[in-house]
Amino acid sequence: MILRIEKIGLSIEADDELLNSLVEKGKSHYPNEFGGFLVGYYADDNKHLHITDTILPKSFKTSIYNFERSTKGIEKKLGTFYKEIPRKFYVGEWHTHPDNSPIPSLTDISAINAIINNKNACLANPVLLIIGNSKTKVDFGFYVWFENKLYRYE
Amino acid sequence: MDKSLHLDTVIKTHQITKEKNLLDKHIQKKNEVKEALENEYGGNVYAPFNSGSYAKNTAINTKFDFDLVSPFKRNAFGANGTLKEMYEAVYDFLYNKYKNDAEVRKQKVSIGLEFYADSDSAKIKIDVVPGRELNQDQYKDDENLNLYVYYKYGNIAADSERIKTNVQSQISNIKDRADKEKDSIRKIIRLLKIWKNTKYNYPTKSFFLELITIKAFDNITITGNLWNKLKAVMEYIKDNVTNDGFTLKDPGNSSNDLSDTLTDSEKQQLADDMKNMLDRIEENDENIKTYFPENPKFKEEDKSKNRYNTNGGMPVPPPKLNFG
Ligand SMILES: [Zn+2]
Repeated sequence: MILRIEKIGLSIEADDELLNSLVEKGKSHYPNEFGGFLVGYYADDNKHLHITDTILPKSFKTSIYNFERSTKGIEKKLGTFYKEIPRKFYVGEWHTHPDNSPIPSLTDISAINAIINNKNACLANPVLLIIGNSKTKVDFGFYVWFENKLYRYE
Repeated sequence: MDKSLHLDTVIKTHQITKEKNLLDKHIQKKNEVKEALENEYGGNVYAPFNSGSYAKNTAINTKFDFDLVSPFKRNAFGANGTLKEMYEAVYDFLYNKYKNDAEVRKQKVSIGLEFYADSDSAKIKIDVVPGRELNQDQYKDDENLNLYVYYKYGNIAADSERIKTNVQSQISNIKDRADKEKDSIRKIIRLLKIWKNTKYNYPTKSFFLELITIKAFDNITITGNLWNKLKAVMEYIKDNVTNDGFTLKDPGNSSNDLSDTLTDSEKQQLADDMKNMLDRIEENDENIKTYFPENPKFKEEDKSKNRYNTNGGMPVPPPKLNFG
């Protein structure tokens, strides 16, 4: 799917295959939360973001209301993506909201702030994907941080 | 820092389209000079054409390089006219016509017209290169021209009567390669010109940098990101330019060796400069910004317009994050 927000001048594209695999991963941890790192590249003069892959955390803690991931053991994968053409890299994070809507919690917003304030993350506009999943339905919430606000792609 | 990312920004801030206004003024002035030559010489001149980097698609916006080649008929300056007489006559004509509007200067193989800054303080520079066909009416068939060397040009002596070449094929040869390999050859040529432009009156000409870049790509395997490619070309120049027997074939005439447009000490200077840059950048990545600077005029514009993408090297996620 391709999503656009005129105001912030960035369209986002994520392949269905990737989204399906995230939903499957989420399902396997249901009713607990789960998530991971989003990988992609910018194209078309940086006006288009193509999210192509995910890296799943090797080390994480999860419960019904909380998900904490660490970067332990994913360095090599980041490096491999970065060597590809086009260069792919960490562009944001995804996680599930079991039996809940894909609306960012305060914890999610402080996580985004931690990314933009982290020098090594080198990202001014990280993407947040929340998957609201229940037994019967799935709802995606795509967000991009832009000028101190999270913008939702509809 | 990510050196390739920096180099890409350097190229972006030097895009010629960013100086549309100045570019239009150059094109307009070039057309004026072309018309003036055609009016003056009528049937004795073929259509003058632009041969600078703009024609070859390798231009940068801090130096436009408009060269107007003026192909004269063999007998335009008399059946026994010399190339020197051609050069002097064209100089006299241009001097009289433009002395109030421009600095008119005798240069190596051209006559430089540097127009005084206009109300926008735009500086326009056009180099007129007089050339003469080899035999009467032969230009239509072979496009060959003899150029006059006004003063010492590398190892080519002053007042040596001629450089015989085909300027059209020089242009199309470089333009072809630069267009086909726009992510490698064209970018590297532009970067080397940007570097050259940081120096005042550097002896190595743009044409030389274009040819040696193409030669590097033809002779060694050049892969990787933009910095890896630039580095490989710089190493090639450093390791080869001063070698005995190093030649740069003129695409307009294979018997011309354009490595002769630099003296031995100028070649040594070029090799030393490459070595020095490579060493300094190796020591500290940040030094790349000194040798390959962004065009400050367009730096801010680019940043505020679009901040997407990484703003440094490879993004590394924060080690521990909590989501709710
Ligand atoms: Zn959440």
